[in-house]
Amino acid sequence: MKNITDSFVSLGHWPFAGSFGFNTDILATNLINLSVVLGVLIFFGKGVLSDLLDNRRQRILSTIRNSEELRRGALEQLEKARARLRKVEMEADEYRVNGYSEIEREKMNLINATYENLERLENYKNETLHFEQQRAINQVRQRVFQQALQGALGTLNNCLNSELHFRTISANIGMLGAMKEITD
Amino acid sequence: MNVILCSSNMLKGLYDISGVEVGQHLYWQIGGFQVHAQVLITSWVVIAILLGSVTVAVRNPQTIPTNGQNFFEYVLEFIRDLSKTQIGEEYGPWVPFIGTMFLFIFVSNWSGALLPWKLIELPHGELAAPTNDINTTVALALPTSVAYFYAGLTKKGLGYFGKYIQPTPILLPINILEDFTKPLSLSFRLFGNILADELVVVVLVSLVPLVVPIPVMFLGLFTSGIQALIFATLAAAYIGESMEGHH
Repeated sequence: MKNITDSFVSLGHWPFAGSFGFNTDILATNLINLSVVLGVLIFFGKGVLSDLLDNRRQRILSTIRNSEELRRGALEQLEKARARLRKVEMEADEYRVNGYSEIEREKMNLINATYENLERLENYKNETLHFEQQRAINQVRQRVFQQALQGALGTLNNCLNSELHFRTISANIGMLGAMKEITD
Repeated sequence: MNVILCSSNMLKGLYDISGVEVGQHLYWQIGGFQVHAQVLITSWVVIAILLGSVTVAVRNPQTIPTNGQNFFEYVLEFIRDLSKTQIGEEYGPWVPFIGTMFLFIFVSNWSGALLPWKLIELPHGELAAPTNDINTTVALALPTSVAYFYAGLTKKGLGYFGKYIQPTPILLPINILEDFTKPLSLSFRLFGNILADELVVVVLVSLVPLVVPIPVMFLGLFTSGIQALIFATLAAAYIGESMEGHH
């Protein structure tokens, strides 16, 4: 009985004064089983793992390629848009320059035309003035002439007798004869 | 008596072969604390593996990832997906936390299942996955509790505690209890699974050293991965739960 307790006690007091060392017992260290397990694990695990990693790598590669393509497309579009912008800006510049020059020209034309119109109007005015003046002078002249004639006629009607009549006629005849001589 | 002696001798012999040691630890004394040295050593190895692979992965980053970088980016994507599905839209700040949990637990578990730790003999105890010590799993579960409290408090302020009386105030004790059971279940689940896993392998190895343990070892690998995933998913789910509005 004591032996049993001893043996169990000795279980409790396992080599106390030992130190670190190597256990060279192959069976006790379970080396063979461990190597088998490791071997099987590596044999099967390697395929699975490399498949997994390959898939992941391919996925990353395709993602990168896709994004590169997207980037390239976006860059192309950007380039296109820039080219269009440049073209449109150039056109706008052209239009602006053209428009300015057109406007300048139009302005000059307008000013010139207005000057011409003004001048013409001035001329008209002057002419009209002149004409009116002329007419007024003519009217005055006619009036004066008429009045003179009337005066003369009145005088004639008042003071005409046969002797004066005769004298006048003869004077006129003489005058006409003189005029005829002069013209001949 | 003879039979008993014989059996005890056999037991001793069996014990020598198997070297099953549960509850045996190599103790170091650090500043008044007794620490489990074998856990620290294996944790350091795990940390070294993680840091080393990270440095290798980020040493020469390329636009189109090559093997190592590809693999680690895949892992990162996986963790981000996990956090996103569990936490929701504001998962960003929690990816490092969830990722650390997942990677550390996963590498710990798999190192316990794949690395030949028993080649190295300790004076006391033996090397195994860091997660088969309850201290490690508690140390992983407590920050998770702190994390979801922090997440809830920063998101909702003191209104976070309103969830304790949701949907009815009768559930207050249960809701409070939940805060204690969460880290408990997290740590015990991980610890129990990994410990049981390694124990089964060790016991089987001690009985039949060859071939027979292999399926169990594969099962162990599977369980280890699943446990890491479960821990990370639950941590993320707790954080997400404390951040979302009441439903």
